Amino acid sequence: MPKGLLEGINRGETVIETRGITKRFPGVVANDHIDLEIKAGEIHAVLGENGAGKTTLMNILFGLLQPDEGGIFIGGERVKFRSPLDAIDLGIGMVHQNRKLVPAHTVIENIVLGHPRAGRILNLKRAEAEVSELCKRYGFKIDFKAKVWQLSEGEKQVVEILKTLYRGAKVLILDEPTSALTPPETEKLLSSIEAMARDELAVIPFITHKLPVVLAISDRVTVLRRGQVVDCLETAHATEKSLAQKMVGREVIFRIDRVAVEKGEPVLQVENLSALSDKGFLALNGVSFSIREGEILGIAGISSNGQHELAEVLAGLRKPAGGKILLGGKEITHSSILDRWQMGIGYIPSERTEVGSIADFSLVENVAMNFYFDHDFSPWGTLDYGKIRRLTEDIISEYSVATPSSATKARNLSGGNLQRLILARVLSRRPRLVIAHLPTQGLDVGATEFVQNKLMEAKGQKAGILLISEDLDEILSLSDWVAPLYEGKFMDIIPGEGASKESVGAMMAGLHLREQEA
Amino acid sequence: MRIGSHDLKLEKRSTLPGWQAAIISLLAILFALTVFSLIFILAKVNPLVAYREIFSYAFANRFGLPLTINRFIFLLLCTYAFIIPYKAGLWNIGMTGQLYGGVLGTFAVLFAAGGKGFDNAGLSPELLIPLMLIAAALSGAAIGAIAGFLKGRFDVNEIVVTMMLNSIAFWLVAQMIKEGGPFMNPGGEGQSFVVPLSVRAPLIANIPFTIFLALGVAVLLYLTFAKTRIGYQIRAHGQSPTAARYAGISTTKIPLLVFVLGGALAGLAGYHYYAAVPGVYKISSNYGYFGDLAFYGIICGLISLGDPLAAIPVTLLFAGLSIGGRNVQGAFHMSFGVDYALLGVLMITLVAFQFFYRYRIVWAKTEEDRLDVGVRR
Repeated sequence: MPKGLLEGINRGETVIETRGITKRFPGVVANDHIDLEIKAGEIHAVLGENGAGKTTLMNILFGLLQPDEGGIFIGGERVKFRSPLDAIDLGIGMVHQNRKLVPAHTVIENIVLGHPRAGRILNLKRAEAEVSELCKRYGFKIDFKAKVWQLSEGEKQVVEILKTLYRGAKVLILDEPTSALTPPETEKLLSSIEAMARDELAVIPFITHKLPVVLAISDRVTVLRRGQVVDCLETAHATEKSLAQKMVGREVIFRIDRVAVEKGEPVLQVENLSALSDKGFLALNGVSFSIREGEILGIAGISSNGQHELAEVLAGLRKPAGGKILLGGKEITHSSILDRWQMGIGYIPSERTEVGSIADFSLVENVAMNFYFDHDFSPWGTLDYGKIRRLTEDIISEYSVATPSSATKARNLSGGNLQRLILARVLSRRPRLVIAHLPTQGLDVGATEFVQNKLMEAKGQKAGILLISEDLDEILSLSDWVAPLYEGKFMDIIPGEGASKESVGAMMAGLHLREQEA
Repeated sequence: MRIGSHDLKLEKRSTLPGWQAAIISLLAILFALTVFSLIFILAKVNPLVAYREIFSYAFANRFGLPLTINRFIFLLLCTYAFIIPYKAGLWNIGMTGQLYGGVLGTFAVLFAAGGKGFDNAGLSPELLIPLMLIAAALSGAAIGAIAGFLKGRFDVNEIVVTMMLNSIAFWLVAQMIKEGGPFMNPGGEGQSFVVPLSVRAPLIANIPFTIFLALGVAVLLYLTFAKTRIGYQIRAHGQSPTAARYAGISTTKIPLLVFVLGGALAGLAGYHYYAAVPGVYKISSNYGYFGDLAFYGIICGLISLGDPLAAIPVTLLFAGLSIGGRNVQGAFHMSFGVDYALLGVLMITLVAFQFFYRYRIVWAKTEEDRLDVGVRR
């Protein structure tokens, strides 16, 4: 084995590189001869659309996957990772997009978990001292005694980063580090990342498709497209537009035009609605609003402030704890999920793979999820798979879902393509009310643009739309009205046009407008 | 694994065509029979002779074949009792109890019609046979419904409930046929009264009519899962209850429905074995033996991956091997249990070979040798 990372390496020299990494999965080449070079002290962004191969590449670097061809080199020597343990031993740490923490344990317990020195007897005092040293150095703030389930997504991420640093990581891989964070949390994280890079010891490649983040922080950026390296350049020489173009392979327009629609009758009226979370807390605490035909109401908020419960109560998946829901003037507070579908609610859930689709079903069978109960598709108790297949094929071509055929299983679709399919399936019902929960989360630039345009199109056809998003830019550019949700309550409902990012952002964090002025 | 300049690797399959699954199963059967040859060799019996004896008795013998077919009908119905809930993602371990329910239903009809104690009681078959079938199906369904209801309404684990119900039903049968129970044989031998001659199931070429019932169910189930709305709802629930619920499929009704249907089929298996198979026509004192045999429905259902049509050859094989195995044990004076040992080996092999449903072996040049070619700088 070669010696540890960064030993005898100066700033600006190569720490770790991959040569000709190729990884194939059934039907796709996820990585096609990828060369990547990471230097000491740099922040190296790996940029690419969904399915471009970023995550595969990072999993190979971390030892979770083994390449079919090519290899990883440290200090010119070839290394082989049989498992992440080998990578960790050499000083590579990875912070996953999906948190891998024990929710019932405290922060410090999670940080020491799995540390070789933790042994059989926990010396939490010593660990606390060492970890708080790390916190001080990089500007992290966290309560060691808090249980992980009480933390926000941003705080959980800090715990993960501390955990990897505490285990001695010199190269830190961050997978989509800002995807679940609020604007202030993102800023804090980015400054910590910069502090780590300044420190002679740390080099941080990170994976993202958020262009502003890349531009704000990285020194160099490697762009992947369809498993290949398109370019590797100094960030100083890049612009948002040029990077997007390299990433998508065509020109991208960043503005969505708000469609002017004459507002009609109210589609949805909600009075004093509240609901409990899975843990039994009052997560949604008496919200009232209404949405008219051709109107988009954007719910802005940091995750776990009641958005999930709101979406589920409206779709009928969760029982309300109180309040009233009216659809087109008719009370549906206690209607079944199926009744709501038939009455014209279309729900696009945030959990695409667990709720919105069935992985081992074909695309045809997945489309059937929203049509099996219609007499047109299901006469006399049978199911007309031929007709559903034709609809699926129309959807595939109209929404440009990239798939070999309509018989392909949903699990083989990338996130963006799956979301196109779900969106198309729901919108094909021509619902009066669309509930779109995080419709573009995790999607790349091209797919995001597409989804947003389709929502606008539905609005143009007089659907009322409830848009729940954590992406403030998205909320502000699409919504007619914006309602910042904080701890289960609306802080206000303000017109979308002219709303400032700063004031809505502050309301998301629980500050009233009055307090902001004060 | 490395052999010479080549790597032996396992690769995940993305799809598995039906014919490949069939070939893998055939290979598994051959493998199991080869392994089991050892037992024959140890008993100083030529395995080829033994296997010829097993297969010819089970499938080509005047006495053996009807036994095989009767057992096949029984097993097929039990397999479907497993498959229907399995398609909905639920595990029915209670075909035994549901089968006992079916037997009790059948005999309750006979008892009510006054069939107890008279072999020649002049009962009307046109009326009573349909009634017995309905009663068997309904009482099997009723026992199944308990598990389905508890699962759908309160999310109580269906495996535990069905297993407990097996025990309850077993002792319920004992209560009815032993020590003065209503269905007890007038002779008091710890078994039930005999099904009167006139209401025994009609035979076609010495095979009870229930074979049409079982094969009809096979076709019906195939069509249900492939072509109907309810079949789709069951399959969706089986793949992901969460996603099914999102799509408006009731997660309370589907578990109840599949256990009612499964229980009804197990109940019919009970009717078949105790009121339609020639030479039985009563609940014998060792009825537990056939209750245990019903568990092979689980293994046949798993091996056929829940496919109602694939279940036909699989159960036929199991039925034949259990009959032929028992015969060979007698013919060659081998020790007791050869038939079960053979079924056991076959079962383990078939399940183990399902590994190849998900993975395939690839034989490729070793990575180091390809590396130089792979590098593009």
